[in-house]
Parts: sequence; structure tokens; C-alpha cells
Amino acid sequence: MSQDEHPGLTREQLDPFAGKSCGPSRQSRDPIAPSDIRSWIDAIGDTNPIYVDDDASMATGRSSVIAPPAMLQVWSMAGLGGTSKSTTQDPRKELFALLDDAGFTSVVATNCEQEYLGDAVPGDWITTSEVIESVSDVKDTGLGRGHFITTVMSFTASPDPLGDGELIGRQRWRLFRFAPKNRGSGGQAGGDSDRPPRPRPAINRDNAFFFEGTLAGELRIQKCDSCGTLRHPPSPACGACQSFDWSTVAMSGRGTIHSFVVNHHPQVPAFDYPLVVALVDLEEGVRFVAEMPDTDREDVAIGLPVEVRYRKQEDDLVMPHFVLAEGSSQ
Amino acid sequence: MGSASTNSSWSVGATKSDVLVKELTRAQIVMYAGASGDYIPLHTDEVYAKEVAGYPSVFAHGMLTMGLAGVLLTDWFGDGTLRTFGGRFRNQVWPGDTLTGHAEIVAVTSVEENGATIEIVEATLDVVNQDGAVVFQATASAAPALS
Repeated sequence: MSQDEHPGLTREQLDPFAGKSCGPSRQSRDPIAPSDIRSWIDAIGDTNPIYVDDDASMATGRSSVIAPPAMLQVWSMAGLGGTSKSTTQDPRKELFALLDDAGFTSVVATNCEQEYLGDAVPGDWITTSEVIESVSDVKDTGLGRGHFITTVMSFTASPDPLGDGELIGRQRWRLFRFAPKNRGSGGQAGGDSDRPPRPRPAINRDNAFFFEGTLAGELRIQKCDSCGTLRHPPSPACGACQSFDWSTVAMSGRGTIHSFVVNHHPQVPAFDYPLVVALVDLEEGVRFVAEMPDTDREDVAIGLPVEVRYRKQEDDLVMPHFVLAEGSSQ
Repeated sequence: MGSASTNSSWSVGATKSDVLVKELTRAQIVMYAGASGDYIPLHTDEVYAKEVAGYPSVFAHGMLTMGLAGVLLTDWFGDGTLRTFGGRFRNQVWPGDTLTGHAEIVAVTSVEENGATIEIVEATLDVVNQDGAVVFQATASAAPALS
């Protein structure tokens, strides 16, 4: 992958994020429970009794067990399906979207520095706040090209969920958002000879007519012989009158965008992303789904006219896609 | 553990090495995901890690390695004495890896704090895998008990 493909973001784009707070501070969902600590030390394999045995901990002069210091970050996690980063006030969403658009779609944690100022103990409510400290210029690394993002998180603890907490620690966290080497992103199809092939549709007696049509440069759609209703995708019976009798008609290939999605993730290596996938109302009155691989997502809108095109995928397989009709781009 | 009492003094150049984990299992990575609340699929979903992200398998959370390394420090300096701990994740940690931590004291300073004189110990800590590659390169400071 050439560097030209991922020039990176400019200081003008990045500087506004430095110093911004990542949304309002967040309180842990529950006070710290002894079982939280036990789960963590079980995973680590730490057998120190002061984390689980009050008597052992009191023998060291404390009033209860304490949480291990390196467990600090755990109190900021929202769990599976959690909402830790989904708040609309979090500027990281905007930053990550910018980075995604610039091709830096992968992420890896590179640094973590923790500072311990007090013990976290069972019963404590932990409140975390996080600030974006800096976003680096674009860097080339062994993983690929990307930007480093550094945030600083502060942790306060209080036995009272409404009380002012005492600062117990800080964590500086650095991520690398990068465009991985050896993986296409944003380029056009056809250039990579070592690219895996696109998935092949399962062709059977019900849908063979459709792929025979695309080989012949036609978009053939089923039509019920009894009531005349068009239907797609192919099926053995008419949904309107349940007749099994059908034939096919060639569509004009023109239609309008009923709706669309822009697929960023997960990525299948055979396709280029962001990938526009459109739901098209064909002018004959039936709806059809296909990708719009040559269309910039900024140019796509509901209601725009589109036309079908065909691309040879394998010697015996041609797949349809859509492009914006002449003169329709915004 | 609690070895503070067995150290007559903290001196520059003192070292401690421990095996942190032997042949890390996927089960332990999944346990860490549950215990930490970090369910990123690179660490928990083999199919995702291989087929979508293009890695050879799932790999361990950086914070799992840091947690494993922290045990060496708290065992050495004593419970509740760590002041700072952090570092750089240099290489990924994979299922099957055996990790060893090598810590060395690089500075000892006496400071006045709350009317008492305490020793602040600064250490480096390298975590290496079975091939000798450094996976986590850290520094730490602690205020261990004076004996």
C-alpha cells in the first residue's frame, strides 16, 4: 500500500481534539464488590490474600481488603454492550470517524501508565473522567501507518454514590489507529492479484435464470404467470397468489434509491470500503439490493436515479451493481 | 510476597525475575475479558481475530500482561506500596506464550513525606516471551517499607 493512499490528517484537523473532555465523568455501575476483585486475581493468578481476605489485610493495618493496583482501569469499563464510548458528547466518536474515513481503521493499545494515589476498596463507587491529551502526526510503524491518540483518565473513589470522591489514581493510555499493511482499504477493485476472491452465490434451479440473465447483460426478474406480480429475490411461489407458475422478464435496469447503507465493518478483504449498498426501486415496481462500489458515499442519497451495470466476477459469473444515473450527482 | 521485611535495604542493581504465566491459555484470556469488562473481539473471538482482523489467533489484552507483571512488583515491594507503574506494549502476547518478568532497581532516593523520611525505589521491568522478545517494557516506582 502506498503512503499516498493514507496521507494522514492535518494539524488543523487534529489540534481541536487536544484537551477536550471525553464526555461527562462516569460512575461505575455498582460499588466495588469483593467478587469483582476475586474474578480479576483469578484471571491474573495472583494469590496474595490481602485482596480477598479481610483478616490478612487487617493484619497489614488496613481496614479491609483492597483492590490490586493494576486493576485500576477495570473500574472504567462498561462491560459487554456497555455505553462507555457511546455518549454523543464524546469527541472521540468524531475523531475516530475522521480516522476511519482517512483509512485508519485498525486499533492497538501501545502504552499504559498508571499512577496510584490511594486504595480502592469494596464498597467504593468509582468515578472516571477522561481527557484527550494529544493526537500525533501521522507515523509509520511496523504495523502500518497511523496516528497515536493519548488520553488521561482520572479515578476518584467514594463510599457514597453521591459524595465527592477522593482521587485514587490516574491512567495515561495511548492507542494507535492505523491502516494495516497488506490489507486494502479504500482502493478500487481489480488491482490486487493476491486478493481473495469474492464470495460466489449459491446457484440453484430457482435462481439460475437470474445469473443466466446477468451473463447475457440482462436484469431478469420473476413474474407470476397467474397474477402478473413481479418478485425478487427468486422464489418458487408467488407471494401474492401462491401460484407456482412463473416466467421472467428483463428489467430496464433503471430505478431510484429507496434506501442505502454504508458498510465500514466488519470488512471482508474481497470488497472495498466504505461500501455503499443500495435498496433500489426498479422502475417496473420491484425492489432490488446491490452494491454501488464505484460511487462515493457522499454522492448517494435516497430518491436519486440509478442504472444497473455488470461486472464479470469469474468466467461464468457476472454480478450486477448500480451507478448513479447520468446527471444525477449532487 | 511481603518480601519487604526480608530486604535489609533497597539497593540499585538488585534484581528479581519471575515466571508470570506458563503457556497462556485462551481460557485465561477469556477470564481476563470477563474480569476486566474488556470484550474487544480481538481478544475473545477467534473467528473475528483470524478472518476479519487477519491475525493468527486471538491475543491477550495488554492489560492482562500488565496485571501479570504487577504481581512481580507487589510481591517484591510489598502490598499497597506501588506509586506508579506503566510501560509500552512492544509485542503481542499469544495463547501458548510463557512470560517472564525481569525487574531491576535503577534508583533509590530518600524523600520527606508527611514528616517522615521514606525511600522511593524506581525500577525497570521487562516482560519477555519464550523467544526472548520483549512484550512489555515498563517502569515503576514504589515506597516499600523500611526494614
